[in-house]
Amino acid sequence: MILVIGGTCAGKTEFVKKYFRLSDADILDASETENFQNAKCIRNYHILIQKLCKENADPLAFTERLIQENPDCIVITNEIGCGIIPLEKSERFWREACGKSSCLLAERAEKVIRIICGIPAVIKGECLWS
Amino acid sequence: MMILITGGSKCGKSSFAEKLLQNISENKYYLATMKPFGEDAHQAITRHQEMRRNKNFITIEQYTDIDKINLPEHSAVLLECMGNLCANEMFQEDKIFYPVEKIIKNLNFLHAMTDMLVIVTNEVGMDGISYSAETMQYISAMAELNQKTAQIADTVIECVCGIPLVIKGEIPC
Repeated sequence: MILVIGGTCAGKTEFVKKYFRLSDADILDASETENFQNAKCIRNYHILIQKLCKENADPLAFTERLIQENPDCIVITNEIGCGIIPLEKSERFWREACGKSSCLLAERAEKVIRIICGIPAVIKGECLWS
Repeated sequence: MMILITGGSKCGKSSFAEKLLQNISENKYYLATMKPFGEDAHQAITRHQEMRRNKNFITIEQYTDIDKINLPEHSAVLLECMGNLCANEMFQEDKIFYPVEKIIKNLNFLHAMTDMLVIVTNEVGMDGISYSAETMQYISAMAELNQKTAQIADTVIECVCGIPLVIKGEIPC
């Protein structure tokens, strides 16, 4: 498991495609909650979590299943927690689910990469270039 | 030399940027891009003016078209900040312009013209909020600008609680 996190449009997917030599076909977009077992990479994981929240599914249980059933997956998610906590309950719930899922993924991941200004920083695991 | 400094708001970016230039006493310019509209802007401008007092900065206010400024040879420039410059270039007279290519071109121009160019930018895309279409366009333009500036910069620094984290290159001595 590899987790890639960063702000919106920070260059996460571009980085993953380039570094892990993936094509668009290798990357599952969050619009699908099916077929995640076989995906080399899932992007927009925060949107997938949002979808699960709306469907009253358990996002953490889903994340746990993903880790079990696709342990080599590269998961790309947006950092969405660096703002004011929203008044709207569903928005708070979504942020909490994203934060907790990211923590869970990071805990199990061998590598966590944070992208800022298109530049990767490895915040867990071995350096990229070693 | 080009240095990009990023981070959230009020994280010590400006102080650190000024510190980078503290040993330069001549031809040191502060390129201010914030339009002095509204009370908040005035407060921010006053606060930054206080911070720069007695630090030998010559202030130039240029809200758009930063390639139009006149600078002597061997000058150092602190551009503050990209967030305002992007908004000013983008939203003009009820129209929306795509600002990224123009700004990058102008930054390259300034880079070639100066010995040292320090650019302060902002991280605006980490709160998960769906703003209006215009604001989302702005957030994505800022992200693209930050990426493209980071590519041409020698050094990229993220400030966290006033602590500079080097994410590309190194901090010049």
